[in-house]
Amino acid sequence: MINLVYNEMLKIVRKKRLFIISAIIAVLVGLFTYAQYKHVQDVQKRLGTTDWRTQLQQQIIDTQNRLNSSGISEEWRKFLKIRLQQQQYYLDHNINPSAPGAPTFMRMFVENSIELFLPLMVMVVVADLVSSEASGGTMKLLLTRPVKRWKILLSKYIAMGVSISFIMLALVVLSYAISGAVFGYGGWNLPLLTGFTVQGEELNTANVHLIPQWKYLLIELGLASFVAIVVGTLTFMLSVIMRSTAAVMGIMLAALISGAILSNMVSSWESAKYLFMVNLRLTDYISGAAPPIAGMTLGFSIGVLAVWGLVALIVSFFVFITRDVY
Amino acid sequence: MKAVASMRRFFLSCLIRFIIVPWKQRKGDSVKINSVKIIAILSVLASILWGYGLVAMVQDQFFHPAASAPLKNVAKTKNDHALHLVALGDSLTRGTGDETGKGYVGYLVDDLRTKTKQPLQVTNLAVKGLRSKELVEQLKQPEIQRQLKQADLVCLTIGGNDLFQGGESLRNFSPQRIKQTEHAYLQNLETIFRTIRTANSQAIVFYISLYNPFQQLNNGQITSKIVRQWNYDSAEVAARYPNIIAVPTYDLFELHTNEYLYSDQFHPNKEGYKLIGERVSALITFAKGEGK
Repeated sequence: MINLVYNEMLKIVRKKRLFIISAIIAVLVGLFTYAQYKHVQDVQKRLGTTDWRTQLQQQIIDTQNRLNSSGISEEWRKFLKIRLQQQQYYLDHNINPSAPGAPTFMRMFVENSIELFLPLMVMVVVADLVSSEASGGTMKLLLTRPVKRWKILLSKYIAMGVSISFIMLALVVLSYAISGAVFGYGGWNLPLLTGFTVQGEELNTANVHLIPQWKYLLIELGLASFVAIVVGTLTFMLSVIMRSTAAVMGIMLAALISGAILSNMVSSWESAKYLFMVNLRLTDYISGAAPPIAGMTLGFSIGVLAVWGLVALIVSFFVFITRDVY
Repeated sequence: MKAVASMRRFFLSCLIRFIIVPWKQRKGDSVKINSVKIIAILSVLASILWGYGLVAMVQDQFFHPAASAPLKNVAKTKNDHALHLVALGDSLTRGTGDETGKGYVGYLVDDLRTKTKQPLQVTNLAVKGLRSKELVEQLKQPEIQRQLKQADLVCLTIGGNDLFQGGESLRNFSPQRIKQTEHAYLQNLETIFRTIRTANSQAIVFYISLYNPFQQLNNGQITSKIVRQWNYDSAEVAARYPNIIAVPTYDLFELHTNEYLYSDQFHPNKEGYKLIGERVSALITFAKGEGK
């Protein structure tokens, strides 16, 4: 079995995709680091101070002013209100939620890439895992070996998991190394608040507690890898069903992008919360942002994603084992 | 020239020996297999970390006992040589109606920058539509208190929304109602001034009083009278506290009201804000001169 997995890993590494992905991450992290650096400088210049409390207070006031203007959608108002309460909570407890440092940058990068960027990178590796064998004609050679079909597919699936882990590792290492050069490498023990729950327009702070940033980051990375595995499994299923890698990519891309758009406008279509792509922003529950549809919780989203992943896994094994290959 | 040519040859041979040849060898299977092993082992190790993250998430998010976050003392950090200006109040301080978004605070700061080399730190805490009662609430917040403590100068506009209520109370007004509003307002103003003075006994406070945007409407005579009375009473409250200066703006808008008003016929436009800014700016040099 381990040899089979090894063989699959060899195929993935040979395609050099993992290195391309690492390069993409490196370039993006570089860009975001520069953007963040510019932003910090700009804010300092505007307010004439480096005191984060003044900056946070100013953000709160800006939000209040935006809430008071009339041409603002109900959704956005709700989002702003919740963020406002959260910022006020941070301020009242004297905690800087965005203290500069590489861990903070990493945290923000993970939070922002969990919905689209990370799944895209996963897709790049997984999309042709099976379909390329079918379209390239190597499938027959693979299946003529005296190995059970489920073992072959399982080895491919495990190889997928390993590469996803590698992508996550590249994301962590590169974002830490590159952003640290600008913001410094410290800040692992910065206290952060978590446990916010959203009830309507109000922020429930009953369960709020402090955890150090390294733990916060670890939790977010765990969630990100869970999302990556689910998206990977779905792509894997499509890759088993379809012979054309381009079609797999197209379908997954459409689903992911529609998810990003949908979560901005589905609040009135309640059953949309059972779609997997609306549930991808798991890190929002940790930081306490408003969910796209009222009533969604961390447990709910994890459950929905797990069901989608399991179904996809069963379908892909069933199709692969029972299909005629000619 | 010969030296250059030999140098170039040397470099080329180095390039071939140390970079190109190892690169080609690297492409061979033995090295490739190693890198696959390294990637696989690293990834498996990393996946333990992600797994631990998931476990930590479950523990932290689903089984955490309800506990309140510990409070920490707010540290005092004051940048001593900077001149702190804190602006409080409603849309006038925010700068609504000025297309550049500066408001009178912006023009005031521009003016001050030409007068002094001292670094200026401006904190604009104004919220559109704020009424005196809401300002009383806002001033209770610890961070606002901290900002006030650091302030050297405080600018304040309040009352416009109390009196005009977006123009409603003047269109169908009754003297009785206005009297009630004013009474409540004056009490709030008293609280506001007291809060500011308790937080900071030194800072100079500029209370910018009201102008009458409805002067050229039908009942301009009556509204003007109300605004004048309102300003007079507010100035009386301000006079009870040291270093709180009531700055009039009524006269600024008296002659050419419409030229200084924004298209909503309520807020000042850019020119109107410039006038207010200049007026406050003139007072600040005077006040600082007195201080020395």
